[in-house]
Amino acid sequence: MLKSITERLRGVSFVRTILPIMAIIAIIVTAFIVLSGQPDRSEEEPEISPPKATAAFGNADSVAGSGLVEPSSEVIDIGTSLAGIVTKVFVAPGDQVNAGAPLFLVDDRAIRAQIQEATASIARAKAARDTARALLATARQQSALYSGIEDERAVSKQEVIDRSGAVRTARAQLAQAEAEIRSADAARARATTDLNRLTVRAPITAEILSVNIRPGEYANPGGQQGGGSEPYMEIGTTDPLHIRIDIDENEIGRVQLGTDAVISPRGEANRRIQAQFVRAEPLVTPKTSLTNAATERVDVRVLQLIYRIPADQGLFVGQQIDAFVRAKTGENFSAEQAGDSQ
Amino acid sequence: MTWIAIRMLTGDRQKFFGLLFGVAFSTLLISQQLTIFINLLERGATAVYNIPTADIWVMDPVSRTPDVALPMPSTALDKVRSVNGVEWASPLLRSGATIRTPEGDLEGVTVVGVDDATLIGLPKTFIAGHREVLYEPDSVVIDSSGAAKLFPPGFDPIGVRLELNDRRAVIRGIVDVDPSFTSQVILYTRYSNALAYVPGTRNRMTFILANASDGLTAKQVGERITDATGLKARTRDEFARDGIDFIVENTGIPINFGITVALGFVVGVAIVGLTFSLFIRDNIKQFGALKAIGVTNAKIRLMVAAQALLVGLVGYGIGILLAAIFIALGSINSPDFKGFYTPWEIPVLTAFVVLTMIMITGWLALRSVLKMEPAEVFR
Repeated sequence: MLKSITERLRGVSFVRTILPIMAIIAIIVTAFIVLSGQPDRSEEEPEISPPKATAAFGNADSVAGSGLVEPSSEVIDIGTSLAGIVTKVFVAPGDQVNAGAPLFLVDDRAIRAQIQEATASIARAKAARDTARALLATARQQSALYSGIEDERAVSKQEVIDRSGAVRTARAQLAQAEAEIRSADAARARATTDLNRLTVRAPITAEILSVNIRPGEYANPGGQQGGGSEPYMEIGTTDPLHIRIDIDENEIGRVQLGTDAVISPRGEANRRIQAQFVRAEPLVTPKTSLTNAATERVDVRVLQLIYRIPADQGLFVGQQIDAFVRAKTGENFSAEQAGDSQ
Repeated sequence: MTWIAIRMLTGDRQKFFGLLFGVAFSTLLISQQLTIFINLLERGATAVYNIPTADIWVMDPVSRTPDVALPMPSTALDKVRSVNGVEWASPLLRSGATIRTPEGDLEGVTVVGVDDATLIGLPKTFIAGHREVLYEPDSVVIDSSGAAKLFPPGFDPIGVRLELNDRRAVIRGIVDVDPSFTSQVILYTRYSNALAYVPGTRNRMTFILANASDGLTAKQVGERITDATGLKARTRDEFARDGIDFIVENTGIPINFGITVALGFVVGVAIVGLTFSLFIRDNIKQFGALKAIGVTNAKIRLMVAAQALLVGLVGYGIGILLAAIFIALGSINSPDFKGFYTPWEIPVLTAFVVLTMIMITGWLALRSVLKMEPAEVFR
């Protein structure tokens, strides 16, 4: 059996049988190499889905914009009216404060000394007033002695003038002493006002967004020195939050003002939040780029639309969002343009 | 009869192997040269095909290829997003920069900034690291051939600190992409990082990648984008084609390499044709004898066709296998050949050319045999 196979194999010609078979195998192998080596140019869905306009309004037209979350009061940069070392900071970021609540305190020792000084001046002026009053009383009594005498010849005219003069002088001294009291009072009142001004207070009921001042640092009425400096404190009303959407100036005509917008936070495109129209800023402004480069130049202007977002969405002030605003529908749009031409 | 024909063909081993070598060599020459030529040209399209997620590329009207592009203002992204039919759109920054390696060397790189949130624009395959490393601060992902270019063999580039425009860039991943035509090192990073890595010009966003909504073709949506925004929109394949056309129009490759390919073609055809026609002429006496014993011309034609087929089959099989292995091994082992592949059209075309040539030359050589009087053999 084995022998017959080997004999048969010997009978098979290498050139006429094996070579063609090998050639066919070679072609099959080549086909396999070539087909398996074709470049993979298939398309695929992104792993993290980006914001989609179709998801926002179905197939209706929309205008896209990017924006920032901001407090409904906008961000208030707290400043100080008096310069000095900060001695106390009353709030921490995230605190909710009422209007008038103290935020931080600038060193008040000098002003307190001024108040004491003014108080001392008041005491001194009051003492001076007492003296003046005593003098006035004495002068009046002495003057009264003369006025009781009927006979003019009993006293010299000189004496009478002296006495009445003493009364007037004493009265003037009293007036001066009183004026000094008022002056010292005013000085104390000013110092007290300054004392109050040293405590920086919240202008509105708001949340503390950032605190960039710590006890021991110097606060200036003009804000921190140097370019790119931060405000001492940023506060704002975070209930509700607003978003400020930038719309390219070329798209302004397409925006249907007054309707809702659909927003998604960056990186969370699957979350779609309905935002309510608040207003459009009347001023079209240069687009703020968020690269923070000092050399930033701008030639794009944007219309800013303000929308209110529902409470408790877990959004933070300053967060970037992608927004889709309803565009004017075809009928709306053409009707408006027709109206313009009439 | 075919059996006799094959015997005739293989009777003289030397001649037969000479024929096979001629056919195999020309097959190898034609297919290998054509493959390298096509692959070199397709280097112009790699930047587009490396990004698997986008089917529309939007750019400034004057932009031509992934590397010859004028950046747009950042609001262009919102304009494109506003176009009805655009499923999504994301920014892509592509720009040249210079890096300083830890050794202090300078090297030109292409910085690709992909969308911060979705990382759309990243290639598919990671050799080291994973997509999420880009969320780490100052992180970049390098392409594998770039890593081979920058660092010595066997060196692990993960964690290496580079300097880009005075800023720190740490390599935290390696991606597998086909090199571009200029085979520059490619660094992928997030868009916001890329803005800092690339020296500032006024507009920074080079491309917008977009996808068409369901039910619409990329071409339709591209036209809508152009109508609505005035920007140029190209589908993936169109833009890949643009990259190739740019190489064709602006480099000497089509002319220089084209001549080489054409010469290879001519040489291959000549070898096949000459060897086979010589073989038939050598065997003219045998054919005459066959005719003398009453074999018809039609039979003789069939015989020659069988011979041509056998030579063609074996020679082509050897040659095409060598060519395919050459390209396949080259693309695995050499960074210069990385991403090279044999387009399936080339083996088919080569087979067609080799068979046609061998048939035509066989037929031409056979004419004298057919015209021959059988009696002539005995003279």
